[in-house]
Amino acid sequence: MNKVMSNKWIIALYVLPALLLIAVLIFIPLILTGYYGLMDWNGIATMEFIGLENYINAIQDAKFWESALHSFLLALFSTLSLLVYLAISLILASKIKGSDLLRKIYLIPMLLSSVAIAQLWIKVFNPSNGMLNSILMALGVDNPPAWLAEPSIVLYAIFIPILWQYAGFYILIYYAALKNIPEPLVEAARIDGATPLQIAYKIKLPLIMSVFKVTIVLAIVGSLKYFDLIYVMTGGGPNGASEVMASYMYKLAFSSNEFGYGSAIGFLLLIITLIVTVIVRKATATKEEIQY
Amino acid sequence: MGRIGYIILYFCLGLVALFQIFPIIWLFLFSLKDNKEIFSGSPFALPAEFRWENYVKVWEGGIGLYFWNSIWITGIAIILTVLLASMATFVITRMHWKLSKLVLGLFMIGLMIPIHSAIIPLFSMFLNVELIDNPWSIVITYTAYNLPITMMILLGFYYTLPREIEEAAIIDGCSIHRMFFRIILPMTMPVMSTTVIINMIYNWNEFVFVNTFISSDKYKTLTVGIQNFIGQYMTDWGAIGATLIISVVPILLAFLFFSNKVVEGISSSAIKG
Amino acid sequence: MLKRKAFAGVFVIFLSVLVMVGCSSDEEANSSSGGDKTIEFMHLWPEGSSAQHNKIVSDIIKDFESEHDGVTIDLEVLSNEQYKDKLKVLSTSNELPDVGMTWAAGFLEPYVDGEMFTPLDDLLEGDLNDSFVSGTAEAYEIDGSTYGLPLELNIATVFYNKAIFDQYGLEAPATYEELQQVVKTLNENDVAPIALGNKDRWTGSLWYMYLADRIGGAEVLTNAINRSGSFEDPALVEAADKVQELVDMDSFVKGFNGLSDEEAKSMFMNEQAAMYLIATWDLPNYTTNEDVPQEFRDSVGYFPFPTVEGEGDMNSFVGGPGVGLFVAEDSEVKEEAKEFASFFVQEWGEKSVTEAGVIPATKVDAGSLDLPDMYVDVLDDLNEATNITLFADVQMSADVAQVHLDMIQSLFGTEISPEDFAKEHEEALSAE
Repeated sequence: MNKVMSNKWIIALYVLPALLLIAVLIFIPLILTGYYGLMDWNGIATMEFIGLENYINAIQDAKFWESALHSFLLALFSTLSLLVYLAISLILASKIKGSDLLRKIYLIPMLLSSVAIAQLWIKVFNPSNGMLNSILMALGVDNPPAWLAEPSIVLYAIFIPILWQYAGFYILIYYAALKNIPEPLVEAARIDGATPLQIAYKIKLPLIMSVFKVTIVLAIVGSLKYFDLIYVMTGGGPNGASEVMASYMYKLAFSSNEFGYGSAIGFLLLIITLIVTVIVRKATATKEEIQY
Repeated sequence: MGRIGYIILYFCLGLVALFQIFPIIWLFLFSLKDNKEIFSGSPFALPAEFRWENYVKVWEGGIGLYFWNSIWITGIAIILTVLLASMATFVITRMHWKLSKLVLGLFMIGLMIPIHSAIIPLFSMFLNVELIDNPWSIVITYTAYNLPITMMILLGFYYTLPREIEEAAIIDGCSIHRMFFRIILPMTMPVMSTTVIINMIYNWNEFVFVNTFISSDKYKTLTVGIQNFIGQYMTDWGAIGATLIISVVPILLAFLFFSNKVVEGISSSAIKG
Repeated sequence: MLKRKAFAGVFVIFLSVLVMVGCSSDEEANSSSGGDKTIEFMHLWPEGSSAQHNKIVSDIIKDFESEHDGVTIDLEVLSNEQYKDKLKVLSTSNELPDVGMTWAAGFLEPYVDGEMFTPLDDLLEGDLNDSFVSGTAEAYEIDGSTYGLPLELNIATVFYNKAIFDQYGLEAPATYEELQQVVKTLNENDVAPIALGNKDRWTGSLWYMYLADRIGGAEVLTNAINRSGSFEDPALVEAADKVQELVDMDSFVKGFNGLSDEEAKSMFMNEQAAMYLIATWDLPNYTTNEDVPQEFRDSVGYFPFPTVEGEGDMNSFVGGPGVGLFVAEDSEVKEEAKEFASFFVQEWGEKSVTEAGVIPATKVDAGSLDLPDMYVDVLDDLNEATNITLFADVQMSADVAQVHLDMIQSLFGTEISPEDFAKEHEEALSAE
């Protein structure tokens, strides 16, 4: 048994194609990003080696840390919202009437491209004609805020479409995981007189724990490198109030002609993400996980 | 749970559903309106006159050209990604070898790279092997960049597969290939469908790679095509709405198909189990 | 048996991809080694967003190809943002197209420093001698050589809705004080006075630049940027103060810092705001564009930016050439590419004004063309212009421009005092 399951040729055959692809297309660019970070380069003229200067500057760059804070806030909100997605998935998977239709509806937003979602929410948030303010005014709110223009609100306003956009993604994963639980297990508990809440908490949750942990990592990594909607909807503005690490990096590399510095920021983004992921993996690790 | 409990539950679920679907309906309504209605009318109102010509206008702009490219590039990249990811995940989670943790770690790091720092190195690499302005550069890039997330999603499911199945298969004298293709893959059908949906959405909507690596019009995909249209009707919001709706329809249909597979697959594998 | 099938299955897929990749790249290699010459040309007017521009370019290419046997133009079209990003990526690998589009001054500079663009002085002394309006080609000049051939010339003016003005008995303001009065009256009647999409930031910069020009004269801002003056000049601080004065009296539409220029334009064009400061590239929307209701087009007028406290010259404008053509230094078909660029500029001149409503950077004989009144007025203004100050974010180098644009957003958001606004600029400029 063990001999078959540790056949080196088979392992190589199965894992190498994938490994080769990411080695060439992801790891080489990654190493090059770190390397460009050591250069004074505007992306046009010849580059000049300046050692760690860009990295040192980045660590002292208040704007970078402000954008990092925003990224971390996004990661926090995304992780917390996983609980909501999980609760919804538990309800949907428990065979209530109409759950099939509801599930499909919940998943619709994730089908849209970021361009479409941005156009949509720009109109929802429009201060004078937008859907949101129309509703608020109909409810009697006199002077609803200009969501994307107020520095104190804009960051939270823009989280809403991001969480909205990703709801379907996680519900889809949780739903598939919950449907994977063997029916007899749930049935047996029900016969023993367990309430739906007890079944969810004592049986279903432990069984999808490994999936849940993976989604925590996905949510955090995805949030820390998030770019799309923020760039289109606010461009990181007003004056950096909604800037995140990836949009800051993009602006430096592509708008300010500071490609070397932008690469250094990009590399730091990766390091930060890596550290956070390792911490989260360690914090959520349990004995059962080593079971295999 | 009592009757009142159910009413409250459905009320909440309905509210969430409304929140998820209403903007799409709104987008659809406004794709049929003209500027005046969009700007001065109530956003909830039905269009006074259904302006299907918004769609005709957009379609005649030549969007059809990009459809085929989107479909085949998306399709091939999905097959490659899901197959390679399943194989790698299988070996990492089920087989015994020293480096499995390390390799898994490498794939996880692949998840973390911000694409904007990758495009310039990638461009010069593709240039060196003459893959610039070649749709295959897009296919392999999509495959590579979706492999990590696809594997992460598969991972949780592979961990929960019962050991006994493999043992039984091997005792029966079944080879690993046969076990993988005949037993493991069918068993993971629900989660494979999930990853197919996710890959499909990512590839269909991807924009930065196509824009950077492709220069000929004949290889461009729908998202890049749409980008040109968003500018076109700078002041014609109805047409923008129509463009966006057109881009969603194909993926919506494919989604409904695979979404049923998530459930079907489960019931069939449950019977076997 | 099954084992082999599985093996084969996986490998066939993987190999076939590699083979297909290999084959198609061979094809590419063959097609480029033909005997004919190919000029790669990139522009930023997709058929989608700029139908007329796009058509003119296609016509010019057709004409050029038919006049020059054996030369083909290989075209790539991208929208504005994507064009800028792609140009950047191409330049990192030294793969610029033979002919492409560039912006003036600050945008151009790094490309010239990196020896990416070729000087075009011989064209300006030859075929194109004396064909540009003075001041336009100069914006593409660095260290005595010209690296770009300008295509357009724009000046910013305030467009206003005459119907709304008439309704409340208002006149086009000639002074800042009158402008304040107009704003006040409109606000009292619940009409949003000025459409401004300051998410894009250069839009707010136009307001600041004009106020600086009126208060401190035509040179003050330019001098601060080219370092012969200081950004902490009292006039530049006062201009910032005036911006906040306008903001405080609710001159601009609600939430302007979160709106794009396109959204602001929509508000103006849907008669939800009475005034809109934009450059003359928007003229077709108010004159010839059939997609815009005739009634609205008839109701739009424009006025030059008002004077402030009796100071300032209304014939001094903010504006400048928009995009221009460059020829790549490393082009393998440099002579043909230059010829194409020169041919393009000559054909563009007349076609662009009659077919696309663009005011070209080449001299046009306005009298001989049948143009809408508003064009004739703008061309007259251009003739009488005493000064055209180039858009600040174009004058500045890319990273200072980013500081300027961010500061503009803060200034309009009243998050920063006029003094600090000037100080931040001074610091960024002197760090150069």
